Amino acid sequence: MDLNFYAQLLLNGIVIGVIYALIAMGLSLIFGVLEIVNFAHGEFYMLGAMLAYFLTANWGFGYWPTIVIVTAVAAALGYVLYEALLGSLRGESFERSILLTLGLSMVLQNGAVFLFTTTPKMMATGLSYSNIIVGELRLALSRLFALGLGLAAFSALYLILYYTRVGKAMRGVAQNRDAALMVGIDPRAVSRLAVAIGIGLSGLAGAALAPVYAVHPLMGFSFVFKAFAIIIIGGLGNISGAAIAAVMLGILESLIGGFLPLVLVDALAFVSMIAVLLLRPQGLFGRGVRV
Amino acid sequence: MSADTKAGLRLNTGSQPKVGALRALSIALAVLALFAIPKLTGNEYWLALGVSFATMSVLAGGLNLVYGYTGLLSFAQVGFFGIGGYAAALLVIERDWSLWAGVAAGGGLATVVGLIIGYSSLRLSRHAFAIVSLSFALLCMIVARDWVELTRGAMGIPGLPAPSMNLPGGMRWRIVQPADFYYLLLGFALFAHALIYLVVTSRLGRAMRAIKQNEPLAQSHGLNPLAYKLLAIALSALLAGMVGGLFVFYLTIVDPSIFDFYYTETMLIMVIIGGPGSFWGVLASSAVLTALPDLLRFTTDLRMVLYGVVLIVAMLLFPGGLGGWLQRRRVARWRRPHPAAP
Repeated sequence: MDLNFYAQLLLNGIVIGVIYALIAMGLSLIFGVLEIVNFAHGEFYMLGAMLAYFLTANWGFGYWPTIVIVTAVAAALGYVLYEALLGSLRGESFERSILLTLGLSMVLQNGAVFLFTTTPKMMATGLSYSNIIVGELRLALSRLFALGLGLAAFSALYLILYYTRVGKAMRGVAQNRDAALMVGIDPRAVSRLAVAIGIGLSGLAGAALAPVYAVHPLMGFSFVFKAFAIIIIGGLGNISGAAIAAVMLGILESLIGGFLPLVLVDALAFVSMIAVLLLRPQGLFGRGVRV
Repeated sequence: MSADTKAGLRLNTGSQPKVGALRALSIALAVLALFAIPKLTGNEYWLALGVSFATMSVLAGGLNLVYGYTGLLSFAQVGFFGIGGYAAALLVIERDWSLWAGVAAGGGLATVVGLIIGYSSLRLSRHAFAIVSLSFALLCMIVARDWVELTRGAMGIPGLPAPSMNLPGGMRWRIVQPADFYYLLLGFALFAHALIYLVVTSRLGRAMRAIKQNEPLAQSHGLNPLAYKLLAIALSALLAGMVGGLFVFYLTIVDPSIFDFYYTETMLIMVIIGGPGSFWGVLASSAVLTALPDLLRFTTDLRMVLYGVVLIVAMLLFPGGLGGWLQRRRVARWRRPHPAAP
């Protein structure tokens, strides 16, 4: 019984950690390639969840088409975001990029509050109440799907970065933008792709979590704050570091949540971030393996 | 960038003392006018606007010190504001401290917290500071909501008592009326802005600007950037914490909404529009941006959407804000060859 309780907590932790990873990896990718901290990242997660809700509730789409459509729309939004706003910024105007994306986040978040109100919505899918039971362990199918999607997206990103030419180009730009330009890589094309992938991952995370948590306009806000902590813990711009830190945070939060008050769970991300900054400022996994 | 060409060019203008006297006179008149408002009108709406101007202008002034002068983008101001508010309220309610001791303790606590997050994140980079300060502000809200034993959770602490002050000559000033709070907060704002003004016009302020413009160069001249950055953060945290303590007694309640991101966004807009690194610009934009949206009766959501659009447009078109734009024009005028010259 006791062991099962731990296993249950661990399992839930892994699921939530993988979703954190989806958001944090996108954030880290965008930072690595463009040196821009995207403060609007959480809003795209929220928009992804909102869109998933409306697709299933109002237009009767199934689970899988919804996931695909939301991811595609988010990636397209990322493309537009780069062309319309981020493309005109360069790495050295760090504060400008933050304030610009913060402005975007304010528009998206408050616009969503205005249009949809803050009433939480629950996305009902065919698998809402189905569970998989192994021994004494129960895992909601919607959580399991979220886990699967997260792992698939993580593997896809890894394969793109390490086994394709465009992935190599992305890593090249992240390491040294000028040198990459000199060997014939177009930083704009690479940055555009990185933003599209990052926002696409965020939208995917929103769609994957929409059946698990309530959907409302302020959901992105509380999530992105953990994503920021994660990318600092993992090392700014280090994608695998972000993924590992995300899963660790998810598991730790879940284990702590089983025994200690809620406030400690929320504070964990922040306290770990400060501890990492004090003890190992370059992040747990450093910048050696950036992007 | 243009902020310091000003200092060099100003030397050539010659009419310095007269301009200075005129400026001092107009400031004195403006302050007198602000303090006379409650005598002229008993309208509580105007007094409430005045209190909110005093509060927001202190927050924006502190942010300007950190971001505008020292170049550190900080989202932590609202955290210091709320920490000051909660600390003052809890000390007064639970420990029977006087408001003044509570406010001082709130300011002190905010300063200590500011130094901790500043020291830990500035070891990495300004980027890390921006991210950590944001996480900190969000964490404050969550802690205020979830640490029910200390903060009493989402319901907050209502019914804060009206403070009073012993005046010299055995008089007691009980601060209950809106006009009393108006005087209290305006007086504090005056003190805070005077302090900020002293810092930014002194050697300290010059060092901060030098660090903002070119940190390695400033360092090579023997300035320790970390010390000046921490000083700016500590001072802004102290002022934000103290004004937070006063403000919650005006509201008579403190709850987690004191950490609302709304305050952060508003003070950022005030600094951006007024021009980062422009003392008077930020003060003026605080006044305009307190009064204008309220008079136009926007709902909060729409106001925030509008602020977001303003932020985006400002970042794309005028990164220096209104103050920076005026400054650039003035410098351009100075640089134009004199028409009478051959």
